[in-house]
Amino acid sequence: MRSLTVRRVLFLVFLGLSAVFAGVLSLCFGVRPTQLSEVQSAFFAFDPGIAEHIVVQNLRLPRAFAALIGGGALGLAGALMQVLTRNPLADPGLLGVNGGAAMGVVIAIWAFGITAQSTLVLPALAGSAVAAGLVLLLGGTGRGPDPTRLILAGAAISALFLAFTWSILILSRESLDIYRFWVLGAFSDIRMDSLWDLWPAYAIALPLAAVAAFLLDPLTLGEETARALGARVGLARLVSVLAIVLLCGTTVSMAGPIAFIGLIVPHIMRSFVGADVRVLALASFLAGALLAIVADTFGRLILPGQEIEAGAMMALIGGPVLVAIVRTRRGVVA
Amino acid sequence: MNTLTVRFGPLSVRMPWRLILTNGVLLVLTAALVWSGLFRGSYPATPGDLLSALTGTADPVTSMILLENRLPRLATALGVGLAFGLAGEMIQTLLRNPLASPDIIGFSAGAAVGAVVTVVIVGGTAWVVPGALIGGFIAAGLILSLSWRRGVSPGQLILIGIGVTLTLGVLTDLLLTRIDTTSAAGVMKWLVGSLNARSWTDAGSLWAGLLFLGPLALWYQFMLGRIAFEQDVAISFGLRLNYGRVLTIGLAVALVGLAVAASGPLPFVAFVAGPIAHGLNGASRPTLLSAALVGALVTLSADMASQSLPDGFGLPAGVFTALVGAPVLITVLVLHSKRQRL
Repeated sequence: MRSLTVRRVLFLVFLGLSAVFAGVLSLCFGVRPTQLSEVQSAFFAFDPGIAEHIVVQNLRLPRAFAALIGGGALGLAGALMQVLTRNPLADPGLLGVNGGAAMGVVIAIWAFGITAQSTLVLPALAGSAVAAGLVLLLGGTGRGPDPTRLILAGAAISALFLAFTWSILILSRESLDIYRFWVLGAFSDIRMDSLWDLWPAYAIALPLAAVAAFLLDPLTLGEETARALGARVGLARLVSVLAIVLLCGTTVSMAGPIAFIGLIVPHIMRSFVGADVRVLALASFLAGALLAIVADTFGRLILPGQEIEAGAMMALIGGPVLVAIVRTRRGVVA
Repeated sequence: MNTLTVRFGPLSVRMPWRLILTNGVLLVLTAALVWSGLFRGSYPATPGDLLSALTGTADPVTSMILLENRLPRLATALGVGLAFGLAGEMIQTLLRNPLASPDIIGFSAGAAVGAVVTVVIVGGTAWVVPGALIGGFIAAGLILSLSWRRGVSPGQLILIGIGVTLTLGVLTDLLLTRIDTTSAAGVMKWLVGSLNARSWTDAGSLWAGLLFLGPLALWYQFMLGRIAFEQDVAISFGLRLNYGRVLTIGLAVALVGLAVAASGPLPFVAFVAGPIAHGLNGASRPTLLSAALVGALVTLSADMASQSLPDGFGLPAGVFTALVGAPVLITVLVLHSKRQRL
């Protein structure tokens, strides 16, 4: 690939290493600060009698995994979404998954009295599947999905689901009480077994997204040119939509609606690695993972004794970063 | 002949028949909604009652319900809808992006933060509206000044808008988790937007602003269509591009500010009005009047739906703007695509 210059490869390697490094560091921080050597022995000489070992293995490790893969998935989905729709305002949740997941969660709390955060994964997954299915039905008929219709249909369906969610929230205090924490998005309540439940979804979605990135690349030249070059526009769009829904739906049901990474990370990455979709997708995956793990770790540290949810931290870090980058670097604004 | 040309001396305006028809139908529908809102409902009245109430000869109950209750509420709903419709269409045309809405200039996000901050400071929901207005104007000013670089460019504005709006949105969510449930529920209702119990003061200040800004916006439509061209094309027409863009944004922010003060953010009205109006007109140029009327229709019917619920289901109008607007938008989309395929 000609767009893979030495500088960009180095940048990608740097991103990847930072994400792994931040992931390891995140195991050391929390209410109970732990030495790196202690973390090491938690893995290689596990002793159920030592509280630190339990904390690291059962709480911090799944959390770090979830942040890395969830953040990466959202960044990747965001890059695909922006290329697919050619719209800088399109976040991957726009395909209906966020609105659907929110409604699934609220219905589960309101109608079935579910209150534990960790049991909200299934209702969220069901809700986002229903919503995304509706969006695809409306926006994706004929020769492959048409981007403008897709995002308008997505916005309409999302608003519809959100309106139902709001009406339940206004009627039921208990729902609002749980929802207002869920909506911030956090990786804090994830255990190993829910990760085990979700990994098949990622195992399908990530390769699919890689295929989508290759198929989508010619489309940056515009639909007509891409067709003239022999690209299969309809197929490319279908594969990318499926990948986005799968990546995003799984992550939202795991960690709550974090719109931020998908919307912002690709914009930032474009100014570093250029517009080649394949490179952009990889960079967005790595940067999303990095942002998520950093936000999750900082959220634990910034207020002693309290925790700021990762989704909120991301916006508080990422928003100003985006503004600063747009103002100082050229080539961000497409 | 699918266009009508109207001449006033040296000036002439071309109006497609379809546009005239659409606006006529929308106008009739709006009037019908206002009519039924005024005279139907749990306390039916007749136009004769209204006349006698206006002249002061009706019985006190009828005149209170009509003059103090229904008229100001309808006037507020109508004005809010018109203002959101106008602002939405202006911003979508300016940024050439169907996903844009006045939200991108940050007014609504800033307003939400302002509202919640007053609750955190005061402890009740009494100061929500002033707090919201201050927050909204600060946020809009912040986004405009941050995206200013020898002028406003739409791409820059969108990205800065995303950054600031999302951060503010999360700030709202975060503050919501730090206040008690009762206040959270109160703020939640305001954030969704309500038209309950509006008085003449609400309607009066709204319409005073609207009567000034509305004609300005409609007149300005002639310029708006050209501002949305590619930058080079617009400049070669001799347009003062920056002036035009800042004027558009200023007008839109002022309109949204008026509406938010009267009803709360009422999500979705400003977003949905433009695409529906375009679908109905089959046009690609800005159709401010249709968009404003669509906004009014959505708001009026949402308010009506919220009033027709049985007691105990006190859902504010903001819930219904999406419930009413989304299906209409979907229908328009489906119809539009069928026609394209033929």
